[in-house]
Amino acid sequence: MKNNFKKDFPIFTNRPKLVYLDNAATTQKPKSVIEAVTNFYTKYNSNVHRGVYDLSFKATEIYEGIRAKVANFINAINPAEIIFTGNATEAINLVVWGYAKENLKRGDIIVLTEMEHNSNIVPFLRLKEELGIKIFYLPIDKNFELDYEALFKANLDLKKVKIISLTQASNVLGAINPLEKIIPILRKKCANAKFLIDAAQSVAHLRIDVQKLDSDFLVFSAHKMYGPSGIGVLWAKHELLEEMEPIFSGGNMVEEVTKEKAIFAPLPGKFEAGTGKLEAVVGLGAAIDYINSVGFKNIARLDRELTEYGLKALNKIKGIKIYGSNKSKNRLPIFAFNISGLHPHDVSEILNRSEICVRAGHHCAHVLLQSLNTQSTLRASLSIYNSIEDIDKLVKGLEEAKRIFNPAKAGFRVILN
Amino acid sequence: MTQDPLYREIILEHWQNPQNYGRLKKSDIDVSQINPTCGDKIRLTGKIRGGKLTEVAFEGEGCAISKASASLFTEQIKNMPMTKIKKLKNEDVLKNLPISISPARHNCALLCFNALKKGLK
Repeated sequence: MKNNFKKDFPIFTNRPKLVYLDNAATTQKPKSVIEAVTNFYTKYNSNVHRGVYDLSFKATEIYEGIRAKVANFINAINPAEIIFTGNATEAINLVVWGYAKENLKRGDIIVLTEMEHNSNIVPFLRLKEELGIKIFYLPIDKNFELDYEALFKANLDLKKVKIISLTQASNVLGAINPLEKIIPILRKKCANAKFLIDAAQSVAHLRIDVQKLDSDFLVFSAHKMYGPSGIGVLWAKHELLEEMEPIFSGGNMVEEVTKEKAIFAPLPGKFEAGTGKLEAVVGLGAAIDYINSVGFKNIARLDRELTEYGLKALNKIKGIKIYGSNKSKNRLPIFAFNISGLHPHDVSEILNRSEICVRAGHHCAHVLLQSLNTQSTLRASLSIYNSIEDIDKLVKGLEEAKRIFNPAKAGFRVILN
Repeated sequence: MTQDPLYREIILEHWQNPQNYGRLKKSDIDVSQINPTCGDKIRLTGKIRGGKLTEVAFEGEGCAISKASASLFTEQIKNMPMTKIKKLKNEDVLKNLPISISPARHNCALLCFNALKKGLK
């Protein structure tokens, strides 16, 4: 398999041996993104929405142009529906404290899934403490797929379901949830629910269309889609943003301020207090251009090839347990697994010696790992610059770890101190 | 034969056959500690007699480094006067290990010590 995209990422020129398999945590950055950030600082740096001079006007034009680009990227109707946040977590918090806190009351129900990242659980747990609401978790079935029908068997008053917050793809199982099918079914049964989609893990892999998905809120981070860290997006329907409360206030988010009162700025400014992450927004714009230049068709093809090969290669390892579907359909090339008798930390230490970067731990998905009945796993998550050679190196490294930790095979003798 | 610089035989031996593994009944110290990096959990129990930590035991699942370190650390502190134990620093624990631990694995190697510190608070 020829990989045409690796050359776009300077880190692989600087570290030719690097086998980067931690893309579910953050992706590498292409040259175009790095250059866009530098270009902004070297040619256009000034604050936005402020000066009347040309430079600030130009910076504002760039900044707002990227808002429109983001809207276009996820097929939002109106650029004012795009709120720049620090990351997906901050965007979820904005929904929880700016919308849910104002609109939910004791006894209301929030529906999450067992495969959510902590970012889509912990804010709701805090809200639960504060408001006395209930949380229902949609379970995972034996094929590691979402069992959304469990909601209808749970004997809940579905009229009280006010928010249903789902990830589009699991950062551990790699499962892609068929939201276009699920949301209409859930909407029919839970007429009072608003939908929040966590697209952090899917945004670099699937074309997102917020209108087709029929969601109310959607969040993602730039750093998982080849963009800079520190910038994320909340998309919400215009009328919801209008009624929502800002959680931060100060400069930029006001239209008028007197000694007694402040009148908030119209959307999207109301939710963007203080100077934004200007260069990161510019980087996000370049990341969108990069993804569009690769094309989602190519991305899907690569994902499928890597998933198929990865599952085949990993399944050959004796003692491996993969937490995820063994079919490549509706699945991202994210492989969470354990090797019998070996601790993930020790294995990743061995892999690290060959510059193979994998994650070892809970992947910020404590609830999922509890339902999978494991404390920690290894996780290899792949991206467009990965190849089947990377998977071969991973497998070789895993065999090496097995050799070191398998006393019988390694000719281990008991030596007591 | 393994010649691994980190996973030396002594470490692998303590990993597979840890000393002081288990739980003491009617203990004076009983504390659990989680390694935030991986979620590994250790439970440490100890008995204090005449100002000394006369008995100590740990249990829990962990990586080779955390388990072997706990094994070696409990050997280090068994029968040590409490006044001395209270003065122990991270370096004293790491120095006692037969390998050098990179900062990325300090949380593993110090898990048992961190549990003890919590228990003595």
